[in-house]
This record gives sequence, structure tokens and C-alpha cells, in this order.
Amino acid sequence: MIIAGGGRVGFETAALLDTRGHDITVVEPDGDRCDAMADEYVVTIIHGDASDPDILRQADVEGSDVVAGLTGLPGLNLAICMEAEEMNPAVRTVARIAARDQERYERFVDEAVFPEGASARVAANEIEGSDVRTLADVTGTLDIMEVRVEEEASAAGKALRSVRFPAGTLVISDDDGERIARPETTLTPGKRYVVAIEPDVADEVTNLLRG
Amino acid sequence: MIGMGAMIGAGIFVLTGLAAEIAGPAAILVFVLNGVVTAFTGLSYAELAASIPKSGGGYAFVREVFADLPSFVMGWMLWFAYMIAGGLYALGFAPNFLELLHVYDLTPAPGQVGAVALPVVDAAVPAAIGLAFVAVLSLVALNAVSTAASGSVETIFTLVKVGILVVFVAFGATSPMFATAEFQPLFADGAGPLSILPAMGLTFIAFEGYDLITTVTEEVKNPRENIPKAIFASLAVTVLVYLAVVGVAVGTLGADGLAAAGEAGIAQAATAFMPTGLPIIQNGGAIIVFGAVFSTLTALNAVVIASSRVAFSMGREEQLLPSFGQLHHRYGTPLIAILASGVVMLGSVALPTQSAGNMSSLFFLLSFIVVNGSVIKLRRERPDMNRPYEMPFYPLPPVLGIVLNLVLTGILVEYLLRTDVLALVLSGGWILLGVTAYAVYTRLGSRDDSQGTTDGRTPQAND
Repeated sequence: MIIAGGGRVGFETAALLDTRGHDITVVEPDGDRCDAMADEYVVTIIHGDASDPDILRQADVEGSDVVAGLTGLPGLNLAICMEAEEMNPAVRTVARIAARDQERYERFVDEAVFPEGASARVAANEIEGSDVRTLADVTGTLDIMEVRVEEEASAAGKALRSVRFPAGTLVISDDDGERIARPETTLTPGKRYVVAIEPDVADEVTNLLRG
Repeated sequence: MIGMGAMIGAGIFVLTGLAAEIAGPAAILVFVLNGVVTAFTGLSYAELAASIPKSGGGYAFVREVFADLPSFVMGWMLWFAYMIAGGLYALGFAPNFLELLHVYDLTPAPGQVGAVALPVVDAAVPAAIGLAFVAVLSLVALNAVSTAASGSVETIFTLVKVGILVVFVAFGATSPMFATAEFQPLFADGAGPLSILPAMGLTFIAFEGYDLITTVTEEVKNPRENIPKAIFASLAVTVLVYLAVVGVAVGTLGADGLAAAGEAGIAQAATAFMPTGLPIIQNGGAIIVFGAVFSTLTALNAVVIASSRVAFSMGREEQLLPSFGQLHHRYGTPLIAILASGVVMLGSVALPTQSAGNMSSLFFLLSFIVVNGSVIKLRRERPDMNRPYEMPFYPLPPVLGIVLNLVLTGILVEYLLRTDVLALVLSGGWILLGVTAYAVYTRLGSRDDSQGTTDGRTPQAND
């Protein structure tokens, strides 16, 4: 996976993806920013402007599944995504945009994201300070995610009680998200399960569920 | 620390005797020169590990840089190198373990300890192979059903090993036997200075630890400083420790005695000069023998993990069957990768120790060449990649690394042609098998994924 832009959005995204076991290359033009990221030691870094085809090529677009333009400039993100698409038509593209209206962009990229929208939701929740709320946006490092079980995964088709998940994992819902998971809940391939995962075991859990 | 553990660990106990057999007292030089040769590769590893934060060792780096087939061959070779190293450690474990039993059961009186009865080891050869077999089997089983011991335990292990070796050197250097040490003639009978070259090849495996360091780099903070530091600190310490230990061993037991003792060389040297009649442990040699048993076992454990890890990441990259890259749902371990590695390891136990050492060294030499090559390729293809650590005098170290490793490979191959054709044939066979399996697998894979199952069994059928 390639992420263009190693600022706050780009780097946080990369760090999160790293805990899920992906290999990330970040392209970032600012030298100090590159050094700071290198100290964190989670991603491979290309120092340069991602809109420069020679720089983007060094990030190995041909060998990547996804290219995400996550810089603060929507136009640049669009350009990067289209450039990447040109180099490797099979690559999936994700662009960070600056407006709520996403449909307009989806002609050009596979996915458009609006990070400010997500942070606004979190901020609104915090400001309101309600005592009970939906967890998705407000957990600390704990990750609550919905995982679709892959056919070839080693835990596919197994009952929960016979699968040893690493400590720090909790399967929350059964396959339709209507019941809380029980020991006899079966992990049916193709179905989605809500799972709470601590970051350091995310990689192992995804390996068990997705193969 | 883990890399140092592997480098200092078993190699020193197992290989010293064998090196002395080929090179005579010059075995001391062998380890120093190997240290120099590997230093260049160390620079390459440092640069790669600092800029590519992946914990997969040499294979991961090469996978990043090279196309499918070369990186497959790299992983295939590295996997084999670790598996055969496992066989080597198991084979080193067995005679040392017998020596340990011998120290306790057959040494009633102090003073007679020095007369280590070689026949015991000789008569026990089938038992030794049996023991080696059992050791591999139990460690594979252990790793198959539970996740590995944490890094901190490994650190304690390393400290224990170094401590034992310090005791060894301290007693050895002050013993009367060392005072009259004979380092002349420096080289083995009629062999001349060139005889150290094959010994260098044989003992090269002692420096596999680089790759191990870079397989566990996940928790590194400030890689810019710490990774090169870790690599060079362990290189320096390893060379120093080898120097001291081999010096003392040659000085006390004599190169001939050391050579005759083979895998248990250090242990026998120790029983010869350590004080005897101590309470409980009876004689000081037991400590060293225990150290040998302990190190070979921990090293065996480390390579069981390392080899399965290579197979695991190859599985995840879909260069082996995907099932190699999966954790088992019940045990949470890469079960298939571990079992496959175990099968080859068990097969390699049937080899003579020297063949195992030769093959493993050969494959580490080859993979080090590829690692040096990938530094050059990466610099050319991705000049703008952020490199927190850049090696000094850039084109020189990797080029020297490649040349020196190639020279050693050539010498080792030449030496094997003369003395150990079996090892050479098996090594060639393994590479051929890999390339064939790869060709079949990619062909089948492109047509139908599930068809690959039959071909993936080939690595296990090898031995």
C-alpha cells in the first residue's frame, strides 16, 4: 500500500494499517517530517513529491494494491490517484477530499474520504459529553471493527470456542450483528463479525479471520 | 540480543572442534577473518533494516527489491539454511549432552576427569543421532502448539551463555595447561595458510545472527542509531568472544585434541582444566558442558522459529502455499510452516555434522550475496527512499561484501567437491527442487488456486 502525504492524517493512517499487518510506503516531500517518521519505524519512506512520476514509481505502484492520496490538498490527491491508475490500472485509489459532498469525486477515484467529517463527529460527541454513546469513533487505541471472514482463512467455519484468538481480542457480535457472540457461534465465511482488538494483536487476528 | 544469542550460542561449542580439524591452531584466525568479511554484509543489513521497517529479515528486504523468482529463491535458500542449521545444532547438542551425562555418571574421582573417554562418544553415535532427533522433535512440537518465548527470556539466555564462556576463558587462561600453550605450527599439518579458507566457509554459519537481528526489528526505537549499533555491537562481541574462547581451547587442549573431540571440543577442553571436586556440580567442566547443552538447545529453538518465520512470510507473500502463511485456528501459531521446517530438520539430522555445517554456511553465504546486491539495486532504483542509516563509502562495502562472499563460496564449493560431494548434491538439489516447485506452483496458481496443494508438499518430501 502506498500513502502519499506523511502529515497527521497520512501518518496516523499508515500506523493504523501497519498494526493490521500491511506493508506501507509513505511518500512525503518534507525532510524533517521524513526523519520524524523514520524514528517511529513503522513505514518505508520515499522522500519526494508524489505528483512527480519518478518519485511515485519509486514507491512501487506496480507492486501495490492501494494508493491513497492523503495530503491536505484535494487537487494533488486526485492527481496522484489518477497518475497511479495510469501506472497500474489494477490499483485501488483513495483520495482525501476537503468537502462533505463525496459523489462528485467518485468518478475519478475508487474511494473518497473526508477526515474532517469523522473528526467533527468525535469532537461533537466529546463536547456533548453524553454518558452513553456509540463507540466507533471514541475508543482510545482499542480498535472495534467489522471483519468479513474469508473463505480460505484458518478460522473460517470453526466455532468460536475452538479458535484460540490471542489475548486482547473479543469477538462481539454473531454473523448478522443481531446477537452477542457465544462460544458456539460459528465463523461463517463471507459473513461479517464485530471484533474488538488491541493494536498489537490486530495482525494475528486478521491472519486468523482473513488468511 | 537475540542475534547475539544465536551467534555466540551454539556455533562456538559445535564448530570450534571442526574448525580446528581443518585449520589447526589457525582456527583463531578463521573466526576473526570471518568477522571482517561479514562486517561488509553487516553494513548492508544495517542500511536495509533501518530503512525498511519490516520484520522478516533478509527475505523481506529482497522481496522488496527483486522480482518474484529471485526473491523466491532467496527465501527458499534462507529457509533451508535455517533448517539445516537446526540439524547442525541438534547434532551439536547430542554429543554435548552425552558428555554432560558422562561428567556426572562416570567421573567418581577428581583428577580423572581430564581423561575424557572418546569411546563413549564413539559408541554412542547412533544414540547421538537419536538424541538429536528427539531434540528437534520436541522443540518443533513446543513451537507448534504455543507461541514463542519472548525476547526478554532470550536476553537472559544470552547473558547466561556469555557468563559461562567468561568463566571458561578465565579458568582456561590461568590454567597451567595454557601457560605451556603450543600454537606452533600455526597451520594444520602440511596444509599451509590456505587451509583456513575452507574452515572459514564451514564456520560462516556462526554469523547467521545478522539475519536473526533483522527478523525481530519490530520494537526498535530510533532505528537510525540503534539498528547499526545492535548489528556492530553483536559483531564485535561475537568476534571477541570467539577469539578468547577458541584461543583458550586451542591453548589448553591443543588443536589436535580439539579436532579429535569434534562437536564436543569446548566441553572436553573445559573438563580438562576446570577445577574438580566442587560440591554438587562435582567438577567445573560440568558448567561448560551444561553451557554447551543449553546453547545448542536455545539456538535450535531460535532456528526453529526463524525457519518457520521465513516459510510463514513466504506463504503470506503467496510464494509458498497460502496455508504456510496462516496461523492455526487452535494453536495460534504458523503450524504448517513449523511442521514443514521440522520435517526437513529431522531429515538433516541424519547428515554428518560437518555436512550440515557446510550446507548451512553455503546457503548463508549465497543469501548474504543477494542481500548486498539488493542494497545496490535499491540505491539505484529508489534513490529518494529515506535511509535513516546510510553506510559510509557507499558502493565499496556491498561490492566488497559480494566479492568476498563469492570468494568464500567458491572456496567452499571447491572444498566440498573434494571432501563432501553429498552436501553439494543436496544443496543443488534443494535449489532445483525450489525452482521446479515454483514453476509448477505459479503455473497452477494462475490457472486454479486449489491445485497447488499437491505441489506444496514437495518441500516435505525432500529428505
